[in-house]
Amino acid sequence: MTSIPAPRIVTVRQNILKDNDRVAADNRRTFQSAGVRAINLVSSPGAGKTALLERTLKDLQGQLGMAVAVGDLATENDAARLRQWGVQAEQIVTGTICHLDAGMVQAVLPRFELAALDVLFLENVGNLVCPASYDLGEAARAVLISTTEGEDKPLKYPTMFNTADVVVITKMDIAEAVEFDLSLCRENIDRARPGVQVIELSSKKGAGLEAWYSFVRGLPLP
Amino acid sequence: MHEASIALSLIGVATEALHQHGGERITALTVRIGQWSAVVPEALQAAFPAAAEGTPLQGARLSIVSVPGVGACPAHGPVELQLALGLRCPVCGLPTPTLLQGDELELDELELA
Repeated sequence: MTSIPAPRIVTVRQNILKDNDRVAADNRRTFQSAGVRAINLVSSPGAGKTALLERTLKDLQGQLGMAVAVGDLATENDAARLRQWGVQAEQIVTGTICHLDAGMVQAVLPRFELAALDVLFLENVGNLVCPASYDLGEAARAVLISTTEGEDKPLKYPTMFNTADVVVITKMDIAEAVEFDLSLCRENIDRARPGVQVIELSSKKGAGLEAWYSFVRGLPLP
Repeated sequence: MHEASIALSLIGVATEALHQHGGERITALTVRIGQWSAVVPEALQAAFPAAAEGTPLQGARLSIVSVPGVGACPAHGPVELQLALGLRCPVCGLPTPTLLQGDELELDELELA
């Protein structure tokens, strides 16, 4: 076939992230057939994803088969922290990339014995913007916000909150000290994602964790 | 800043379409970016030339169409959303959890040579 003389306009209408979404769909099927619920944890850096995971692994050990895939720009520090609790934690070093994508998750899955797991936590890179665009094939996306970050994060990063299946407010034990306005924060969350479940907790002091554990236990397969 | 990754994905999708349509290179392209997609058009515009270097898109002109968010208000039907108000009808404040448009991240058109 000879090519037509240039230039010509063609309509493509294709999702730019279609390759990611195809791999995410593969991941979802893999999780489904293994009976694993994958939970994608996203937040800004320092909101307490690793602390919440540590506490969860410690408290639910023996009740649930759990493992973690941890995304970070560099270092194995978080994975090492999580392994202390006797679960498998695999680091995904993303290099310069500020989010996990479906391919990075797919690449790490063979290292897990998925059939033996109930829950696989995907600890995303600390960033409230970029991870929002990338479906990993998770059953649920948990967005964490800490009391030290102020109340307006949900309005500043609407896309991330807009795609949340649950919003977890962390570091509630110091809410008073940092003059955190809980009702304003809840109102902002509800604007960004009307009706979303909100859980308030403190990983350090243990308050509010039962609601989070109920969410983790009760999550249906995708 | 994930627009560099988005630019690379864009080049992948565009190159695939170029091959399907039997062209040599791409001289211009249009993408549609929803205001609720978490992609900043300026950042994508800045990342694109470097990502396109050495590909059939080198030197291509990138046009970005920004698509406003439209939510389905139970009382007012389709309403244009305002980022500062979240997924709430700007007229009555009711929740509009379903986005009818505004989360696009789409390669729309190519000009082939």
